[in-house]
Amino acid sequence: MTWRNGAAVWLREPFVHFLVAGALVYAVLSGRPPDLGERKIVVGEAVVARLAERWSQTYRRAPNPEELDGLITDYVRDQAYYREALRLGLDKDDEVVMRRMRNKMIALATSEAEAATPSDAQLQALLDKDPARYAPEVRLSFAHVYLGDDTPAGREAAAATLARLRGGASPQGLGQPVPIPASFDSDPASDVAGMFGDGFVGALRSAPPGIWTGPVPSGLGLHLIKVTARTAPAKPQLADVRQALENDWRAQALRTAEQENYRRLLSGYDVVIEQPK
Amino acid sequence: MQGRIILAAMLLAGTALTVGCDKVQQAAGGSSSAPVTETAYPERVYWGDTHLHTANSVDAFGFGNRLGPEEALRFAQGEEVTSSTGVKAKLARPLDFLVITDHAEGMGSTMALYNAPRIMIRDPQVLRWYDMMHAGPDESVKAMGEILQARAKGTLPAQFRDPKASAERTHNVWNSYLDTVERYNKPGTFTAFMGFEYTLMQGGNNLHRNVIFRDGKDKVAQVDPIDPTNELTPDKLWDYMDAYKAKTGGQVLAIPHNSNVSNGMMFMMTDGAGKPMTAAWAKRRAAHEPVVEITQIKGDSEAHPFLSPNDEFAGFGTAGWDIGNLMLTKSKTTNMFASEYVREALKRGLLLEQQLGENPYKFGLIGSTDSHTSLATGDEDNFFGKHPGVEPAGRRAMLPQSLGKALGRVGWQYLAGGYAGVWAKANTRAAIWDALSRREVYATTGPRMVVRFFGGWDFKDGDLGGDWVKAGYTRGVPMGGSLNAGKTGAPSFIVSALKDPDGANLDRVQVVKGWVDKAGTLHEKIFDVVWSDMDKRKVLGGKVAPVGDTVDLATATYKNAIGAPTLATVWTDPEFDRSVRAFYYLRVLEIPTPSWPAYDAVRYKIKLGPDVRVKAQERAYSSPIWYTPTA
Repeated sequence: MTWRNGAAVWLREPFVHFLVAGALVYAVLSGRPPDLGERKIVVGEAVVARLAERWSQTYRRAPNPEELDGLITDYVRDQAYYREALRLGLDKDDEVVMRRMRNKMIALATSEAEAATPSDAQLQALLDKDPARYAPEVRLSFAHVYLGDDTPAGREAAAATLARLRGGASPQGLGQPVPIPASFDSDPASDVAGMFGDGFVGALRSAPPGIWTGPVPSGLGLHLIKVTARTAPAKPQLADVRQALENDWRAQALRTAEQENYRRLLSGYDVVIEQPK
Repeated sequence: MQGRIILAAMLLAGTALTVGCDKVQQAAGGSSSAPVTETAYPERVYWGDTHLHTANSVDAFGFGNRLGPEEALRFAQGEEVTSSTGVKAKLARPLDFLVITDHAEGMGSTMALYNAPRIMIRDPQVLRWYDMMHAGPDESVKAMGEILQARAKGTLPAQFRDPKASAERTHNVWNSYLDTVERYNKPGTFTAFMGFEYTLMQGGNNLHRNVIFRDGKDKVAQVDPIDPTNELTPDKLWDYMDAYKAKTGGQVLAIPHNSNVSNGMMFMMTDGAGKPMTAAWAKRRAAHEPVVEITQIKGDSEAHPFLSPNDEFAGFGTAGWDIGNLMLTKSKTTNMFASEYVREALKRGLLLEQQLGENPYKFGLIGSTDSHTSLATGDEDNFFGKHPGVEPAGRRAMLPQSLGKALGRVGWQYLAGGYAGVWAKANTRAAIWDALSRREVYATTGPRMVVRFFGGWDFKDGDLGGDWVKAGYTRGVPMGGSLNAGKTGAPSFIVSALKDPDGANLDRVQVVKGWVDKAGTLHEKIFDVVWSDMDKRKVLGGKVAPVGDTVDLATATYKNAIGAPTLATVWTDPEFDRSVRAFYYLRVLEIPTPSWPAYDAVRYKIKLGPDVRVKAQERAYSSPIWYTPTA
């Protein structure tokens, strides 16, 4: 089926570059570029088939002849408006159009990265770049006695309690009852920070091991502490952190693909930014 | 390479409505295989959000959310993420677990509509919405409001209701989501659950449930989320859950939320259809829904002043939510409150148990966010809004914010959201799910205070000097548990609360008791059991003197110069009647702190109206402990 709009041929001149742009966009949308300069909207068999197929996808049945006519009429209407709009340059400076084109370009540029699978060497390289991010957490084993609010009186009283602990007294019942454990066995530093606040972990990492010491302040108040074990910072092993590496690698690959693509695009332009005086 | 071809084909052909535009699927990497050992009993509380929406939710995308599950998981683990509106966002402290619960109905459909070729949209109404969505954020929010209104009224265009197309899209989005969750689940460190929201409504009345699976993709991928669009009661959801268990051998539970905007439908004395409740129905509900989300961004459902006139702390986060149902299609009348607020529901549960032999409302309590920004923010000083249209900026606290309506609710009436505290034996799907299932959980309105609650028959003051946690588990039951008639005397309770290490001191701990007498009359009473500066703060007319207020609104700060970092006691019910059913739960109050509008006022130098909530006593609610007399 072919509709002719019968309009005069008056292309040329100032709108030619819009036509070129339009043709390119049209090519992306339909897979078939219109003949440049041709004022002819061709609804070929392939187009009709595609319209019908999309209808079927949406409505789970083939369109009846009336509906198909409707689709085609609409298609032509869209084409006519679209081309005229391009001729008039209405796409220019339209933020919605620009954002849409940009998103399509990005999706095209990043689709390969999305499907890619990293090699062990690539993961190892990522690991070597920022080992701290993947390093096993320092684990802390310690006991504490909670003394309540951090006040001058509390600090004074702490000295007496500390003396009793160092003298071999059992820590049980010496402090105030709190709904967190009195001793921790190999807990990751971040968990300890979550329970006591960040500053407390610093104190645990520098306290002399094996003896009661303090008072040490936390987000909860004052504590006496006895560190019994502390793991040393260790090198992360690929096998232990593969999933985290893969997650990061993928996210990074997408970012890189997008940036690379943009850099390539941009290298074809001279960008002049005129700063206001 | 195949992914590239598929995507390119989609782009070239345009994206038909039926095609989910979600990212090209990745092979699931599986979880770390290192075994995680469970402790003998729960030693620490794990913090999480069981209710979060991403761009896959039909409304969240319409409101401008462009962040998917991956960003949501990264954010919950403590990483910095750029929000949909371009603001850098980070949690002060990571969460231990997360359940992304995108709406089952129309999962990914707004995104698909947005990305569809305009030519394929036949319906003039849909076309209008499509154009509004592309016209910018404000118009998009408006369009989404209209879509939700149409959904509440049952006037959605046919295109939105095509079940087959919708099912296919849901299947694709769901499986991509499951892959992502699997990649971020790290047993022992961070638990990523699989789940969805069953957005059940009667008109605009909120009967929503979040569905949470205990299992991984091997089991969960055997089912797709179930669409509630044509349902009026939760029965079909329970059928679905039973079928999942039978088919996969897995486990699944559901958590109702926002009873406060159900217009009297959430906790009825009848079954869901309004018929007399049977014992079987009551038992079924309790078995499928062991936990209720009591507090979140869209208000707090613990207690309403209308129902609890003697409770001076009732009415937290009820303003605006008590004027109508979720969609404001119907106003609220006072007779609806009794089947909307949790304390009353717990009481009704006792009465129904007395009548039927089964308690449909024997549930534990958690808080969550219900954030639609993909950002599980629960702190007042870091509130990213209900949806991307109200992310941190300018006068959001003062602007109308009702779904699709100009009038009704205002920005400040939204809370910063809550979190779920879970007493689990490890940070794994199994351990946290099991804790939810046995109700050993509690709710907070955001702060991470630690709360322990044990009930037994022989706890004494001296117990707090020893290993009282072990005593709690061996001689009693933890929160969420049940006490059967004891040997002699009244039940006693170990009560212990500790401030958020990064937050405010505590004002007091209260035991909220509810019971039903033999005549079937419901009662409640609040006992202040331990508070800060007990020697100075006397009890006058049955009330403890207020803790004071250190909030400075000019700087949005407070001082821990009042209150106490920790409060503990052993409490025995002085009015115990061994012949009546009762429950006891804790309410832990912080000292007053600035609310999120107060932080906004300082940051954006804006003036707030006189009604705006600028400070509050944030709180925790433990799951109850029930007492049941022997027959």
